[in-house]
Formats: sequence, C-alpha cells, structure tokens
Amino acid sequence: MPRRPFLRAFVSPAALCAIAFVAAMAAVLQFSVRAYIPGSLDPGGFTLVNFAALLKPLYGRVFLDTVWICFITAVCTLVIGYPVAYALVRAKGAFLKSAMLIVVVTPLFLGEVVRTYSWIVVLGNNGFVNTVLLKLGMIERPLQLMFTSFGVVLALVHVTLPVMVIMLAAALSHIDPDYERAAESLGAGPIRAFLSVTLPLSTPGIVAGVTTAFAWTFSAFATPQLIGGGQVNMVSNLVYQLGFASFNFPFAASLSVVGLVLAFGMIALLRAGLRPLEAVGPQ
Amino acid sequence: MKNRAETSGIEQKSAPPAGGQGFVRLEGVSKRFGDVVALHEATLDVRRGEILTLLGPSGGGKTTLLNLVAGFLLPDSGAIHIAGQPVTEVPPYRREIGVLFQNYALFPHMSVAANVAYGLRMRRLPRPEIARKVAETLALVRLVGLENRTPRQLSGGQQQRVALARALAISPKVLLLDEPFSALDKNLRGSMQLELKEIQRKLGVTTIFVTHDQSEALSLSDRIVVLSEGRIRQVGTPGEIYRRPTERFVASFVGDVNVLRARLEEVDGEAAQIAIGAAKLAVPAGTLRGCAPGAPVELFIRPEQLRLAETGDETACEGVVSAHSYQGGHVDLHLASEAAVSGRILMRWPGTEAIARWPVGTRIAVACAGTEAVAFPASPS
Amino acid sequence: MRKPRVSTWGGVAGAVVVAAILAFVLLPGFVVMIAAFNARAILSFPPESWSWRWFAKALAYDDFRAGFRNGLIVTGWASTIALLVGAAFAFVLDRYAFPLKRTIEGVLLAPLVIPHFTIGLGFLILAAELGATRGFAVVVACHVVLVLPFVLRSVYISLRSLDQRLELAAASLGAPPGRVLTTVTIPLLAPGLVSGWLFAAILSFNEFTASLFVTAQRTQTLPVAMYNYVREYADPSMAALSVMYIVATAIILIIANLFLGLGKVLNVEESR
Repeated sequence: MPRRPFLRAFVSPAALCAIAFVAAMAAVLQFSVRAYIPGSLDPGGFTLVNFAALLKPLYGRVFLDTVWICFITAVCTLVIGYPVAYALVRAKGAFLKSAMLIVVVTPLFLGEVVRTYSWIVVLGNNGFVNTVLLKLGMIERPLQLMFTSFGVVLALVHVTLPVMVIMLAAALSHIDPDYERAAESLGAGPIRAFLSVTLPLSTPGIVAGVTTAFAWTFSAFATPQLIGGGQVNMVSNLVYQLGFASFNFPFAASLSVVGLVLAFGMIALLRAGLRPLEAVGPQ
Repeated sequence: MKNRAETSGIEQKSAPPAGGQGFVRLEGVSKRFGDVVALHEATLDVRRGEILTLLGPSGGGKTTLLNLVAGFLLPDSGAIHIAGQPVTEVPPYRREIGVLFQNYALFPHMSVAANVAYGLRMRRLPRPEIARKVAETLALVRLVGLENRTPRQLSGGQQQRVALARALAISPKVLLLDEPFSALDKNLRGSMQLELKEIQRKLGVTTIFVTHDQSEALSLSDRIVVLSEGRIRQVGTPGEIYRRPTERFVASFVGDVNVLRARLEEVDGEAAQIAIGAAKLAVPAGTLRGCAPGAPVELFIRPEQLRLAETGDETACEGVVSAHSYQGGHVDLHLASEAAVSGRILMRWPGTEAIARWPVGTRIAVACAGTEAVAFPASPS
Repeated sequence: MRKPRVSTWGGVAGAVVVAAILAFVLLPGFVVMIAAFNARAILSFPPESWSWRWFAKALAYDDFRAGFRNGLIVTGWASTIALLVGAAFAFVLDRYAFPLKRTIEGVLLAPLVIPHFTIGLGFLILAAELGATRGFAVVVACHVVLVLPFVLRSVYISLRSLDQRLELAAASLGAPPGRVLTTVTIPLLAPGLVSGWLFAAILSFNEFTASLFVTAQRTQTLPVAMYNYVREYADPSMAALSVMYIVATAIILIIANLFLGLGKVLNVEESR
C-alpha cells in the first residue's frame, strides 16, 4: 500500500462540494414530481401532473425552438471559430498571437449581461446597424433585428465563440506541423493537406467545441430574454417565468428536468452524428 | 498533372542535370529569421545519386538548408535548382521530394498502407497502380503484412520504415532525411543506417541527410558538408573531412583531436614544415597562408596519429598519464601535457596492455605516427 | 525580402476572413464605447456631442454600487474556497487512486454542461428545503460549484507538467510530505494556482443566470443589478458601465497574459 499523504484532507472538501451539488440537483428532481399549490411556495404531494402539462403544444414549441437555436448557434460558431483558432495556433509572432488571444478571450469574461446589452445597442431600432444603414440611405425604415431569432442567434454565436475557439485551438495546437509538411512534400497542396490531414486530426476539438457550444447556448438566459424580448423563448426563459412570475416552482423544476434530459439527449445525438468524423480522426 | 506523375519515376534516369552541374544546386542561398542569420550565402552542388550529409552543431543551419531544399522555407536571396529546374519559388507539393521527418510525422489517422499511398493519391494515379506501388515499396522496406496497422501499433523501427516507404513511393527526385535515426536506440540505429544505405544504393536516389552525429555522418555519406553558424565550412568526402579539415572548426568538430603547440619552419609550395619538439611534420600549407616562418601554429592531430616515442624517434612532446579509459576494443590514454593547448593529450591503444604498462603518473614521450595532421595559425588567446 | 509565393492569395484571403471575424467579435464593444460617450440619452450614431456624464451616473447609481460590493464579497469567498477545494482535489486526482475518484470528478465537472438556470433553481430549492434564508452563503455555495471545474482544470494542467522528480529530490533531502508540499509543489504550481483563482474570480464576478435565481435584493450581484437596469431603463449609464467592465477585464487579461502566459493556461500553445 503506497503512502498517500493528505488524501483524506484533500478529498473531503471536494466530496462535500459534490454532495452539495448532487443535493441541489436532487432538489430539482424532487420538486418536479410535487404538486403546485397556488399562492404557496411550499409544494404539495407527489404527482406526475407537471410532466403531463409539459405535453401541451406550447411547451413542445419552446423545446423545438431551443434545440433549433442551439443547433444553429453551434454550427455557426464552429464555422467562424475554426479559421480564428487555426490562425491563432499558426500565427507567427508572439505579439500577434497574444493580441488575437486577448481579443478572442476577453468577451468570455465579460459575462452574458454586458455582451447581450452591447448587442441591444448594435441591433436596436435606434441602434448602430440601423442608424448607420439609414444614414447611408441603404434602408428607409429601421430593420427589425431585435426580438427576432436572427438577433438571438447572432448574439449567442458571439457569446459562444470564445469557448469554441479555445477548444479548437487546444486541439489544433497539439497537431504537429510536420504532418502538414509531410503531406505537402508528398504532393498535397495547402488545401488538400488541410482537408486530408489537419481537419481529421482536429475532430476531437470539433466534437468538444460543438457539444460545449450546444450546452452553453442551452444554458443562456439573458440573451434570449433581452434580445428575444418574449418573441423568442427558450427553456431557460420559461423556467424563470414559471418560477418568478407564477411562483410555480414544481412546474419550473419539471421543465428543467425535461430540458436537461433533452440537452443531454441532443448532445448524445450530436456526438453520434459526429462519429463518422471521428472515424477518420485519430484513434 | 497526370502526365507529370507518370513520368516522374523515370525522369530521374533520363533528365540530365543542366550543364553538368549538381543535381540539386544552391546558389548563394541566404535565410534569416529576424536578426538571426540561419544560412549565409550557401552555394552547394549535390551530385546525382549520392548521399550528401549536412553535419554541424544544432543551430548551425543544416535543418534550415534542408527545409529550403524541401520548400518549407523560402530563401531571402539566392536560387535553388533541382534536376536543372529552378525551384526557388516552387511550393513543396510540386517539388517531387521525399522527406523523412525526425519524428516520422506518420499520419496517425491512416493505416500503414494509406500513409504510403498518400503521395500517390495526391498524384491521382489509378487505383491498381497505387496498390501495386504500395506493395512494392512496402516489400522494399520489408514491411509486408503490416498494411492495415495504424502507426501507433508499430515499433519505432517499423514506423521509420513506413516513413521511408511513404517518402520513396512517389519516386522522389531527392530524398531528404532530417535526423532520422535520433529517435532510435543505439543497436537499431546501426542496422537501420545500413539498411537505408542499401535501399539508397538500390534506387540510386539523390539523398540529403541531416545529422549532428559525426560518426553517423562519417559512416553513411558519400560526401559531407560541415555547417556552423549558418555558413558552409567544408565540403568533402568523409576521408577528406576527417583527415584534411580546412578549418579549425571542422577539425575540432569531427572526431577526437589533439591541439598541440608547434612552430612553422618553412613553406614549400603546397606543403609546410612544422616543428614540434624535436619532430618535424609536413602538413598542407593551405591553412597557413599569411604565416611567416617561425610563427607559432597549432597542430591538429588525431589520437591514432600519435604513438609512444621509441629509441631513435624524434620526440614531439612529453606528458604524464592522468587517466585511462577502457573502451572495449582499445584504451584511451589521457596525458597531462604543457604542449597541448587544452593541457591534455589523448592517445589510443589497442588491447588493454596500456593500463598495466603505463600506470597513472608515468611520464611518457610522444611521437607522431603518421603525417595526417593539419595546422592553423595559433589563436590569439 | 523575396515576395511570398503561390499560397499568397490563399494567405491574404485567410487573413481577411480572420480579420472580419475578429471585427465581429470587437463590434459590440466598439459600439458600446461610442454609446457610452454619447451626450444624449437616446442612442444615435455617430453621436452629436460627447460627454462623461453617463459614467458619473453609473458610478452614482445605488444598485450598481451595492451590486459591486456584493459581487466582491461573493467573488472573494467563492473563488478562494473554490481554489482551495479545487487545488487539493486536483492534487489527489493527479497522484492517487481512491474510492469514488471518477464519480466525484464527474460530479464536480458536471456544472460545465448543466444549464446554469437548473443549477440556480436547484440551490434555490435546496436552500428553501433546508430552511436557509437567501443570504450570501447560498450564493457563495452556488458559485463555488459553478467555478470549481475551471480551477480543477487549470491546476490539473499545471500538475501534469510538474516534474515529480523534484518532489522526490526534496524528500531525499529530508523534507517530510508537508514540507515538500509547501517548499516545492506549491511554489512550482503558483502560476496554475494564480490563474485558476483569477479565472474563478472573473467568472464568479460575472456569473448571471444562476445568480438571478439565488440572489435576493440584499445579495444582488452586479450582473443581476445590470440586468434589472437594462429591463427598466434605456439610458447609456449601462453602456458606460459596460465600457468600464470591458476595459477592466481586458487590462486584467493583458496583465495575466504577461505574467502567466494565457496560451499556456488555456492549453492552446503549439506542442513544439
């Protein structure tokens, strides 16, 4: 038996945190099967009525919208994140590299509210885009960008881009540049070398990036709430409304549970969908 | 595209290099990285079918030179020709080169066969043709039966064979090897070196080989280029490099050498007379230009060119045995001596009798055994 | 210098694409900056006159001031606790096998993929079940769980690159385990620990969705205060505050990059 100093002292606090987290999740699960007593914050007896209520088309619509928005956001983020990650990893010069990294990473640390607010200023009827286009005479009336799924997706792509770039860059940075050189020495042009070697070798990063982007978008609240303005509703918005407008916490809990199951299901599906990609990737 | 690929295999035998110059030719090629001069005005001819080794310490410019020939780097000035064609601006994928990378760079997501077929696929050869060439090349490197493995399932030696097969499958005009043996253990290294040389002879492919290991360079090359600080120091056969170095750096970098204080007696045409102790020695005069008779010089002489002075011999210098080191086949005898610039002289003795005959502390008189030595003007320090 | 070759056009096109994407990343920040210095309350581009008054107003707004204070309290506690818990756990995770190792690790990393609103709701219900008031304790506990994965990852990466022979050397020189930890391991881990704490602090200070659920009026953090402000008012005070936020964050990151090497911390440096 090897000696293992500090083991107990170092594991216990982490275990305590894990227990607290599991307890919080269990609380959600438990509330989801309790009855809602209007006018009271305490839940009633055990029931499945919350889940039955979720079958209404209204909620189905929100789930579908949420999944769709998450999916589109993840794909768009991948498409625009990849060139940036590639440039970041292959950039020559420490300054250029650092500058790009700071530009990409800073938004990650600004939080959802500040970033969403900035997009309101960009997209609003009196916002940047509309004022500039009006002034240039390219449009006659302001474009409706706020309260549309386009606006929500745009802002969400902006929100998820940093984490996507970081994950892709982490994968790309571990690919030896000699692979690309080898391909070129064997007659592959830069594009073919990229497609046949670098891209397949970066699939772990793509899978990690897409699933994380999906999960983060699913978790977004301020962006759909403020930019969607009630016109675009995601699961998060509904949960908040049920909790803090109607104080129907049991229903909010059941919605969260179904949302969680849905999110995990979608992520599993995404991974399965990306498996053919992984098959060409490194084993 | 297709035509070029199909003819590339025979091109090597049919297209004579322009004007009888080197098959690979560098003319005044320079490359700097920021303030660092990686390669300065390199001019070099690589003959068709030879193994040319680029030897030098790390940072000497040998890998830069290789990358310039491969096209991974663009020179700041100068021109590069392969098989008579200017390729200075040609990207690597149109240069018809085979590169064996230091860590092999085998595509981890492809099987052995797919790795070897890669270059052929890029040339859009028909499928049966690719299959035939892959089988042929794998047979050449003795890897039949491992086609469907992935690189990670192979040993280091096998990985290197795959990398070699991949580079050779495209019938490259030039084979470039970047320290290919550094990742192998010592026993395997020897046998892979032999095998590489055999394969190279069989195919007659012009080969440029980078190494910092001087014994590897001496044993493997037809000719050696010694580089340091971005400059070509000497080009010559292994024998020339070892026995007749033209520069102080080359003499001290390749092989063990003793540097002894001596004096220039006279210069007679191409030969110079050197006096060391009571001994006289003729060395090439080329390295002593500008030295007047009587000037102090430094004599660079190999350990095996020294022997014990016997009666009647002219003693070159004296030294006191300070240590023996047993090397298996021979014994290295270390002497402390005033005559040596470093204060130490190294001699070689076959067998083990030297240890008993000259214990530590014995005073020994040393004579020159041969005439293979070179001299340089004494360094100012 | 010789002109670059064939791939030049590809290179230029690539640079343009990347520059355009980076411009997209920078656009909102740039626009907010203009809005913040706009003298008029209604957003307009370009502004007719410039002023600092929204900055003054933002700094004087009581909810922002309280939010900032509360945020510092929550962040200070949460990131420090997360650092201690996370670093200790990363250490045993790297070194030892023990029962439930993978389970605990899995649970602690789960907040990365579980929506924050679910986590917030969970801690809100849990607090109610336990009869706790919605005080700082709940907010801090929730934040610790949320930022722990980042601390774990950051410290774990530095532990991996730590040469354990140095610890063996210290032990062979007579240092007992505790002294090895304090004289060799922790000093060598310092960059990882600092960056882990810094990331935890920044993320906690900015955490919004879960905070919205677990904070009360009294414990409202700055992002929650900002959210409430945006819902109620449309004047550029919020833009001014955002600018201060962006500038502060960028400065912290630039300093972190100088001292810690962000590339290394984020694991995006080239391997060779």
